[in-house]
Amino acid sequence: MVYPGALKKLVEVLCLFPGIGPKTAQRLAFFLLGRSREEVVAIARAMVEAKDRLTFCEHCGSLAEAEQCDYCSDPKRDRSLLCIVQEPRDVLVLEQTGKYRGLYHVLHGALSPLDGIGPEELKLDRLVQRIEKLGLEEVIIATNPNVEGDATAGYLARLFNPLPVRVTRIAFGLPVGGDIEYADELTLSRALEGRREM
Amino acid sequence: MSSRIFKDEGLVIRTRVLGEADRLVTLLTLKGGKFEAAARGARKMKSRLAAGVDIFTRGEYTFHRGKTWPIITGQYPKERFLWFREDPELYPYGLYLAELADRLIVGEEACPELYNLLLGSWRLLGKSGDRSLILRAFELKAAQYLGYSPGLHNCPGCGSEQIRGFGPGEGSMVCSDCWSADFISLDSGTIALARRLLEVPLHQVVMIRPSARQKNELSRMNSAFLAYHLDPGELKSKRLLDE
Repeated sequence: MVYPGALKKLVEVLCLFPGIGPKTAQRLAFFLLGRSREEVVAIARAMVEAKDRLTFCEHCGSLAEAEQCDYCSDPKRDRSLLCIVQEPRDVLVLEQTGKYRGLYHVLHGALSPLDGIGPEELKLDRLVQRIEKLGLEEVIIATNPNVEGDATAGYLARLFNPLPVRVTRIAFGLPVGGDIEYADELTLSRALEGRREM
Repeated sequence: MSSRIFKDEGLVIRTRVLGEADRLVTLLTLKGGKFEAAARGARKMKSRLAAGVDIFTRGEYTFHRGKTWPIITGQYPKERFLWFREDPELYPYGLYLAELADRLIVGEEACPELYNLLLGSWRLLGKSGDRSLILRAFELKAAQYLGYSPGLHNCPGCGSEQIRGFGPGEGSMVCSDCWSADFISLDSGTIALARRLLEVPLHQVVMIRPSARQKNELSRMNSAFLAYHLDPGELKSKRLLDE
């Protein structure tokens, strides 16, 4: 199929998005062509502004529009709690629960030696310094429940061992809305271990 | 693997993020050798594939031959090597063997000996015993199964049994008369250790009690031998292992 040059370029650029193949890119391109100029400019401007204005908080590593993110600068947050997550988007998901009011620390990855990510790449020395400085009561490790996440959690727990802080790991269990018969035995065994009194 | 749907038992030796919610899984299988397969949606919380396609898992897998990779359509985990995910000290050992197996095995050619060697080594690492010896035995036995068995008895130059050390390029023990500056001098105990590790079944390896010097020498010998003959490249897990 022969595209006009500008359309071809738009499709190529849209293909850069994760999960977007040529077909979907073409659909999106025609969607954009069908909108008014103002709407397309607003979309493009929002992308550029997000790229220009968003940075990572110098304290916790989550997304911020200033040196300090909203969580670190909020005096109402519980400063005795720190939740360690792998990615900035994990912070957003935890915030959506409305159950956590402490501080965050984003590792920007998990220990994965085969991908060249070791303790130095995760800047764990800075994390230890931050925990010491904050004088926390509890550190919650909320890394992903896969091998890299578990290995990172184990490494962190050992690293924090000399510090006067309680170290916990978020619970493992069954996803809401699922049937037990479809759960794998590892998730079920961990859910049994983490059962609670009713 | 000519049929579009096929089954195989495999060990997950590596996983990578693929697209938004998928995983690209490297499997060492019993019948089909080593290959990569895509696990669609395996990064989603409710995925039925997720728990069976994590590294350090042995399972029975069903595949559908896709355009680029086989697609994993079903999984039944048979064994999980949980000690690697629960003990940060053991994790680098399991990872090293997985990475070495991934590098040493090139294509989709069945090698049940290597499969069982990795399976046995992962199992053994979860028990008490000298872990570094398990790694050394794995290196020697893997090279043997791949057809690069090191010569541990006679000097290849003159046939002498008076061994002084190991010549990586020769892939063999070498005597004093045939000695070259880049060869590795070995203690007689190290020579005996290398022979025993290659000869005894894997589960007996942990009964051997070598000295620290012998283990260091054997580690150097194996690294040089593998680098010369099998070229595994830089093993990233080794950095974590050395820490």
